[in-house]
Amino acid sequence: MLMRAKVSGTDLKTGGIALHNLQKRYGSATAVDDVSLSVSPGEFISLLGPSGSGKTTTLMMVAGFELPDSGRVLLDDRDITRLPPHRRELGVIFQNYALFPHMTVAENVAYPLRMRRVAKAEVEARVRRVLDQVHLGALASRRPHQMSGGQQQRVAIARALVFDPPVLLLDEPLGALDKKLREHLRGEIKTLHKEVGKTMIYVTHDQDEALAMSDRVAVMHEGRIRQVSAPQELYRRPADLFVASFVGEVNLIPVKLKSGVVYGGAGEKLPAAPWPDADGDATLCVRPEHLHLDPSAAGSSHGVPGHVVGRTFMGDATIFEFRSDSGLRLTSKVLNISAESMPDVGDACAASWAVSDATVLTE
Amino acid sequence: MAGTMSSIALNGRPNPARASAAPTPWAWLLLPGSIFLVVLFVVPLVGLLLLSLGMPNWTLANFIRITDNPAYVNVLRTTLEISVSVTALAFVLGYPIAYALTTGGPTLRTFLLIAVVLPYFTSVLARTFAWVVLLGRNGVVNQILLELGWVSQPVTMLYNRFGVIIGMTHIVMPLMILPMYTVMSGIDRRLLRAARSNGASPLAAFLTIFLPLSLPGLIAGVLLVFIYCLGFYITPALMGGLSDLTITMEISAQVVDQLNWNFGSALSMVLLVAVLAILWIGSRFFPIEQLLGFSDGKAASETISRRQVGTQWLMRLGAAANVLDRSLPSLGGRSIPALASFLAVLLLLPVLIVAYLSFSASSYFVFPLPGYSLRNYEAYVSDTLWVRATFTSIRIALMAAGMATALGSMLAFGLSRGRIRGRGAMVALVLSPIIMPTVVVAVATYFLLVRVGLQGTEFGLALGHAVHAIPYVVVIVVANLRDLNPTYERAARSLGAGPLASFRTIIAPLVMPALIVASFFAFLASFDDLVYVLFLGIGKITTLPMRMWEGIRQDINPTIAAVATLQMLFAGVVIIIGALLGRQRNT
Ligand SMILES: Nc1ncnc2c1ncn2[C@@H]1O[C@H](COP(=O)(O)OP(=O)(O)OP(=O)(O)O)[C@@H](O)[C@H]1O
Ligand SMILES: [Mg+2]
Repeated sequence: MLMRAKVSGTDLKTGGIALHNLQKRYGSATAVDDVSLSVSPGEFISLLGPSGSGKTTTLMMVAGFELPDSGRVLLDDRDITRLPPHRRELGVIFQNYALFPHMTVAENVAYPLRMRRVAKAEVEARVRRVLDQVHLGALASRRPHQMSGGQQQRVAIARALVFDPPVLLLDEPLGALDKKLREHLRGEIKTLHKEVGKTMIYVTHDQDEALAMSDRVAVMHEGRIRQVSAPQELYRRPADLFVASFVGEVNLIPVKLKSGVVYGGAGEKLPAAPWPDADGDATLCVRPEHLHLDPSAAGSSHGVPGHVVGRTFMGDATIFEFRSDSGLRLTSKVLNISAESMPDVGDACAASWAVSDATVLTE
Repeated sequence: MAGTMSSIALNGRPNPARASAAPTPWAWLLLPGSIFLVVLFVVPLVGLLLLSLGMPNWTLANFIRITDNPAYVNVLRTTLEISVSVTALAFVLGYPIAYALTTGGPTLRTFLLIAVVLPYFTSVLARTFAWVVLLGRNGVVNQILLELGWVSQPVTMLYNRFGVIIGMTHIVMPLMILPMYTVMSGIDRRLLRAARSNGASPLAAFLTIFLPLSLPGLIAGVLLVFIYCLGFYITPALMGGLSDLTITMEISAQVVDQLNWNFGSALSMVLLVAVLAILWIGSRFFPIEQLLGFSDGKAASETISRRQVGTQWLMRLGAAANVLDRSLPSLGGRSIPALASFLAVLLLLPVLIVAYLSFSASSYFVFPLPGYSLRNYEAYVSDTLWVRATFTSIRIALMAAGMATALGSMLAFGLSRGRIRGRGAMVALVLSPIIMPTVVVAVATYFLLVRVGLQGTEFGLALGHAVHAIPYVVVIVVANLRDLNPTYERAARSLGAGPLASFRTIIAPLVMPALIVASFFAFLASFDDLVYVLFLGIGKITTLPMRMWEGIRQDINPTIAAVATLQMLFAGVVIIIGALLGRQRNT
């Protein structure tokens, strides 16, 4: 009953997590507000949001370290809201690794098995297997403080994997590492996910990380989930202004809707898919890489007329600051792929974008 | 950025933050203090050793006499028995407090901290007096027991083994709790969460993670208390029966009453060697200087990851507990805070009861009070003997605090900023006076002062007190300097301030509060001392504690309650000033 002695993670039937209307308050502040989320077995889902948005609190309610004020946590349709953490059989990886300093790497990894009174021979075999899996077989007898941050992180992952939990919860596991290492381990965790096929709930405030690794991303803000989507969808079709501006760079253009047609501040018609039956104020979102600046179209009625007011070389791309004749400030990003001539500061241009690249947000 | 800063600093004088073999100018500050300590601490102890060996007629007879004579063997056994019992009791009672102090909520923690720290800085004499009043034949406890009808006649709780153990345990509790607390509060609480998520029940997580990681603190507390008990004089002398003769009382009897210096020295050496041996064992588990609050920021993780005893065994126990947990309903976590609060109340109660009794309208200790009055305080201020004793104490404490603050702060600067060979030995020398049994140090100092004719003088006594107070000053100032960000100084230097100017404008103002606090504690250490007075004062100097001591031995005069209360109040004020100055600096 106490051991989930199954074949390593291939059983995709287990590991589904469902959160129903979770709420958590600290005093008068609401840390998590009516969060509902359904994670299917084997899925990699990220909780993405700025600092203080309630990601850790949500994760800790799943792990069992915080009791929600209301709402339920289900693991494979079993209500675990009030189950103490040690009986949940969930693997948790903490931001600062939380390796036990008085134990060697092997002892750390063996810990969950020993707590489950697994026979000694099997403990050894499983520890060796999982350490090999994270490429740490040679360092088994080291102490945590004798290892680099990246190695420590791998130990933490090994420790969470060794007892074969159906779900892994990761709270900013790469937060304390430098950029290069972070990108490297990002790939490793992704590969691991493919190998072991476990459900992973991954907390991060790094959007690149979330977009690169996840099957779906849940964006949190002020304790609420604002959007849950696949990365492409999230980027291309943000559900609201917060998501649009939090994920990636974006030009936000205040517009007016008149029976579904989008007009700019000066009353000009702007390219965007017609918005059915709506009137009033709205915001048009266009990503910088979708915004084209065309000097040749400067005088024509095509696009928004204006001038280039800034140009910054960024290595792979060049960023243009554009100011429309009506006073809008827009940003355009052009990849430096060809030596083709680019507009200069002061040049008159027309800014345009494809209808399909613009999103209208009414709120 | 940091690199630029340090290279700027390097252009001026040797960069203190960088280690080098040659002594830096700061190291010269070590000189006055170390000479002082060598002359007044090392030399006397060496003298003691020579005396014990019969100088100038070398012999081991004194040591042989200790082991041959059953009376002295008995003294050693009594000392050991009492020390072991007190240490064990203090450990059992102290652990829950230290644990709750680390894991409890803010309110509980504040209360517990007060309950530990206030008695810690109240003089041993005042606390012992409290127990004498509580446990006596007509004492408060007996009055309550009789009142409740639980006993038909007074129970003997004083002047026997029971009384000594109760009184000593109460007095050593802070000493047990503080090192445990220091280590426990350094344990990352997330490790416990990690253990829980890895399948450990709360009990199993405690046994396999928290307990092994707190082990250095437990060992430290136990050893510190044991050492303190071995050299404890005041409480056994005041609360013990005739059969509870401890080694310190025997030393006192030999030196003061029998004038048998050689034999007294031999007994002192036995005590000293025992203490040193225990310290040596202890240092294998935990750096002793860190215990006393002296650390220059060496990674605590290294200490924690030292060789651990019994970890494997605890793992097995934890795994077993885990299985139990699954068959038991989960136990509530409320019991430990409740137990700790109860124990903390017991810790505070004796001193509070004495404060309460000091306002009695009766000339006896009657509980509850028949009426409130200030007659005990009036008796204190109108009695010329009490007043004179108070002024004597103040004079001596001022001298001692002055010397200790000056020498101690120089030592602190030298230790934090100077680079010298043998720094570890230096730290050991500076801290030793508070670890070595006071009775031994006092006896040794007495022999030295006699040779130069300073025995029975206030200055001589102040010299002894200064030696005892220097470690407190050093610990406080070193802690302050460690927190002092060296970039302030470097910034000042880079802005054109010379070394002297940057000291005057940056370091001095930032360190000043610590110096004030340190001098207060030095004053308190001298003001509360009894042991040095007993030996160095040779009956000629009557300080306030000396007069209390005589009072307690003769008639348990209620005026003492007033004096003890004032002492407590004074300690409280010193703690509050320290806390306030500390906070002011941090904001
Ligand atoms: N124990 C606590 N007591 C009081 N308030 C808390 C506590 N834990 C979290 N909060 C508050 O709840 C809110 C959400 O916190 P949470 O730690 O979940 O944020 P987060 O999204 O993980 O942020 P970060 O990216 O900074 O880790 C914050 O406003 C925080 O201040
Ligand atoms: Mg967080």
